[in-house]
Amino acid sequence: MHTEHTIETSAERQNRHKAMEAIAVLNSLKEDFKSPIRSMGYFYDLFEKVYCHHQPLHEGKAKIGTMCIQIPSEIIYALDAVPIRLCNGFYTDDEIGGDLLPQKSCPLVKATVGWFASDNFSDKPDITFSPTTCDQKTKAGAIIESFGHTVIDVGFPRTKESEESRHYWRESVKSFAVKLSKFQGKKLTRSNLESAIKKVGYAQSLYHKLTEFRKNKAVPILGVDMFLVTNAFFFDKIDEWISAVEKLVSELEQRANDGVNVAGKASPRIVYTGSPPIFPNYKIPLIIEQSDAIIVADETCSSNRMFNDMVAVDEWNLYDMIDSVSDKYLKACTCPIFTQNDDRIRRIIQLVRSYSGDGVIYQAFAGCQVYEMEQRSVLAAMEREGIPILYIESDYSPSQHGQLTTRVEAFIESLKNRKRMKK
Amino acid sequence: MRYFVGIDIGSTAIKISVADENKNLVGHKISASGSMFYKYAQEALAELLKELGIDEREVVYTVATGYGRKLFKEADENISEITANAIGAQQAAKSYGNIKTIINIGGQDSKAISLDAEGNVVNFAMNDRCAAGTGKFLDVVAMNLEIGVDELSDYHFKSVGTPLSISSTCAVFAESEIIGLLGNNHSVEDIVSGVHYSIAKRIVKLVKRVGVKENVYFDGGPALNDGLVNAIENELGHKIFVPEYPQITTSYGAAVLACDAFLSESAS
Amino acid sequence: MTKNKFSLRRAVNNMNLVRFRFWFQIVAFALIVYGGYIGLDLGDKLPTFACVFNSEGTGGKCYVGELQHDLKHPLEGFVGFAGYAFLISLGMFAVWFWALNKGWCGFVCPLGTMQDWLTMVREKTKIRYSEYSWANRGKIKSIKYILLILLLLLPVMIANSVFGLPKLPNGLSMPFCDICPGRMMIPAFTGDFNQFYIDFSSKTDIVMTTIGMIMTGLFLVGSFIKKRFFCYFCPMAALQYVFSKPALLKLYKDGSKCTKCGDCYRACDMDILEIADDVTSKNLVTEDCTLCLKCVAACPEDGCLEANFMGATIFESTKEGFLVRMAMDQNKENHAH
Repeated sequence: MHTEHTIETSAERQNRHKAMEAIAVLNSLKEDFKSPIRSMGYFYDLFEKVYCHHQPLHEGKAKIGTMCIQIPSEIIYALDAVPIRLCNGFYTDDEIGGDLLPQKSCPLVKATVGWFASDNFSDKPDITFSPTTCDQKTKAGAIIESFGHTVIDVGFPRTKESEESRHYWRESVKSFAVKLSKFQGKKLTRSNLESAIKKVGYAQSLYHKLTEFRKNKAVPILGVDMFLVTNAFFFDKIDEWISAVEKLVSELEQRANDGVNVAGKASPRIVYTGSPPIFPNYKIPLIIEQSDAIIVADETCSSNRMFNDMVAVDEWNLYDMIDSVSDKYLKACTCPIFTQNDDRIRRIIQLVRSYSGDGVIYQAFAGCQVYEMEQRSVLAAMEREGIPILYIESDYSPSQHGQLTTRVEAFIESLKNRKRMKK
Repeated sequence: MRYFVGIDIGSTAIKISVADENKNLVGHKISASGSMFYKYAQEALAELLKELGIDEREVVYTVATGYGRKLFKEADENISEITANAIGAQQAAKSYGNIKTIINIGGQDSKAISLDAEGNVVNFAMNDRCAAGTGKFLDVVAMNLEIGVDELSDYHFKSVGTPLSISSTCAVFAESEIIGLLGNNHSVEDIVSGVHYSIAKRIVKLVKRVGVKENVYFDGGPALNDGLVNAIENELGHKIFVPEYPQITTSYGAAVLACDAFLSESAS
Repeated sequence: MTKNKFSLRRAVNNMNLVRFRFWFQIVAFALIVYGGYIGLDLGDKLPTFACVFNSEGTGGKCYVGELQHDLKHPLEGFVGFAGYAFLISLGMFAVWFWALNKGWCGFVCPLGTMQDWLTMVREKTKIRYSEYSWANRGKIKSIKYILLILLLLLPVMIANSVFGLPKLPNGLSMPFCDICPGRMMIPAFTGDFNQFYIDFSSKTDIVMTTIGMIMTGLFLVGSFIKKRFFCYFCPMAALQYVFSKPALLKLYKDGSKCTKCGDCYRACDMDILEIADDVTSKNLVTEDCTLCLKCVAACPEDGCLEANFMGATIFESTKEGFLVRMAMDQNKENHAH
């Protein structure tokens, strides 16, 4: 007896696998926690639309792929294109990339490379800009190019304190702007860049408003929901994102007034730092919040770091605006690719203080050398400050769940004990 | 007339095949093993022969296989299921083509067998440590969803949403996951589809260990579930052949072997 | 929006600093350059340029002029009445100074105001401003101290023979006034262009007044292409900095809140790197600082930088203030200030 069904193509199979990963996480967000937020519906639907039904969002617009957060989105918006951050969180794509990269590579880079290798995008980037940040990202550019994609390297300095590095980055950004301008056949003008800077600045201000509510004793929004909101900014239409977040802010204001708490009274407040949790790899944040703790702040490039620092322009002319934009992406950046990491340590401490954090969870991807290497200095600094910290490594595979849960739960219980002892 | 009997004594079911001298399948029977499978096996065989109108003296050679084969002392010979399955598959798919890979999902175990061009077993992999992804699992799922095992296929093809992955690797824990999903009002169709893909993923991993080569054959009770077949095909990226009576391939193989054994014995 | 009710503190922190400073400077300029016409006399110990050569209009006189005059005195005279007079003058200068610290530079000084006007003109023409490299900035820092020492030493050397050198000619009696661009520019605003001349009375005068013309030229061109060009070399700034620590108006930084984003450094006319990179010091009034408070206005962190008067925070950086000033607080097209 022959089987008469049509068999999926490999692209369809990949899409189905990714859809299954995505829907499992979305269902978890929607169903596993108390006091759901109505306005989050926009984001759940958005992710389902894009990752389960693979609907394109940006037809008719030039899509500019970016690797890492350092590519200035203001310039992309000014040139009437859409920036799409390509850092990938899918285990499906990680497995594909795993055949193309060394075994011990960072899962995020593997997933991104795997995605490009499969060339299966709902919104395919027309051109991709890759800043030379960490080693693996840096080398991934050429590998991706070999699959037939257009990738432009953008030189990014590994030091940020010196005058040369600041000038180098400014020149890099100017060169990027020129190349993109040529690609688009459009010019950067005072008015289009000013509008773009203000729009992105406004979007950032909305993030600040959102995150302000997490300083309350009764936290009205989960950390995983915040991650979803900021992840959406990677690829959503900015005007729709802005309007959805405005609604979210109003709803949170109401919830804050009503004292709604998505966590328990004794739930330890966690500051999350390290390798970015990118949808659907929310494994660790979900474990944390399912273990009766609440993530009140984070220091990761898929969330806080994208929105924290503002572009400040002194003279609203093209030369000053471009320099302001470059400076923002370099000077305040707390990515571990830099030689010194004092700024990151100070940022984590400041977050713990201003969000009344009880402890820090530092998650590094197995294979992410820079985050793994910073472990020592960060742990030492937290010890000096008397802030409890848990360091864990993970990757994208679904298998470690039990081990990770045990470690996280133990840490959270120790935080609860500390709190009780203090009283 | 001379007849040959192959009897596959599994933990869940007893499968009996009767073949003639030309190795054609004359009849078969499937019955539950129960706890006294030895007694039931004898009874089932007697019943089958009666139904086929075959006198027990016409049965010249019997081969037993399966989990309980060594206890069926009436058999003239006993062989492993691997061998029996391989022989049965090739014979059953003779008109389709040369079988080089066999996937078997049984009541409580699953296996993958790789054959060479001559039909000899070159490699096999087995999962006999737990019931996840076996017929037992499907029984439990159907029971929890309050549908018949034979309805699973229909539900699978009716699913329009994204299949809901079952993350537990253990059938017992998966049960609570499914109950949770039902509690959150997810559709039975999506759950069934998710279960099928979960099994499919696991079995494809097993098969890839022995290597996938054309043609691929799928047998065992769960092969009757067309939805599961489709899920496996999608995960594998490859068409698979399912025989008309997938549960009995192994017993049929045993019957064929009985025929070969008898004929070669009489020749010598 | 939370906290919609009006609060003075919030209104101040959200203020349009550029506009505030513009009008404050205009009022201060008017008082200093035209105050004399309405009988205003703030004395001659002012810690800001206020030109004595603007005889009718000036509302006061700058202390640098007074200082040069005081020091042209035989040294023996300093032990005694002249010495007391000197100290009292200096004391009065200090008292005036302590009220606003270096804010005299950023908000009151007419030369500073003129430079800011030239900067505004340049900005309208969309010409890019020029920046010093860090190395060069380090090198030019000492020039203002050298000028200060010279303007203190030269008058003394006219009235005395110092280190066995002959007494200097009288033409060098107000050495800084000769070369100060204020002498030419300030009276010009009352229609008096007589100061634009070369004095042929003596060789010294020729040299000094020529240098003066050059300085004025440099002042105009320099501050067109470089924000507050003159202030890097200003001996008044050097003198003020000596007294800066006990002043009442301060610029404080809370380093723990600083993200080192450098927005303050971008805004700073004087390119003071320390304002961004120093996260340990509390008092950030450095020698070049004019307390213009542009850094506070450009800082997007709550409570990181503040202008503090006698212990009370009068203007501090806030997230909201930043957004209002950069016009990022709403999703519509409007211009930042």
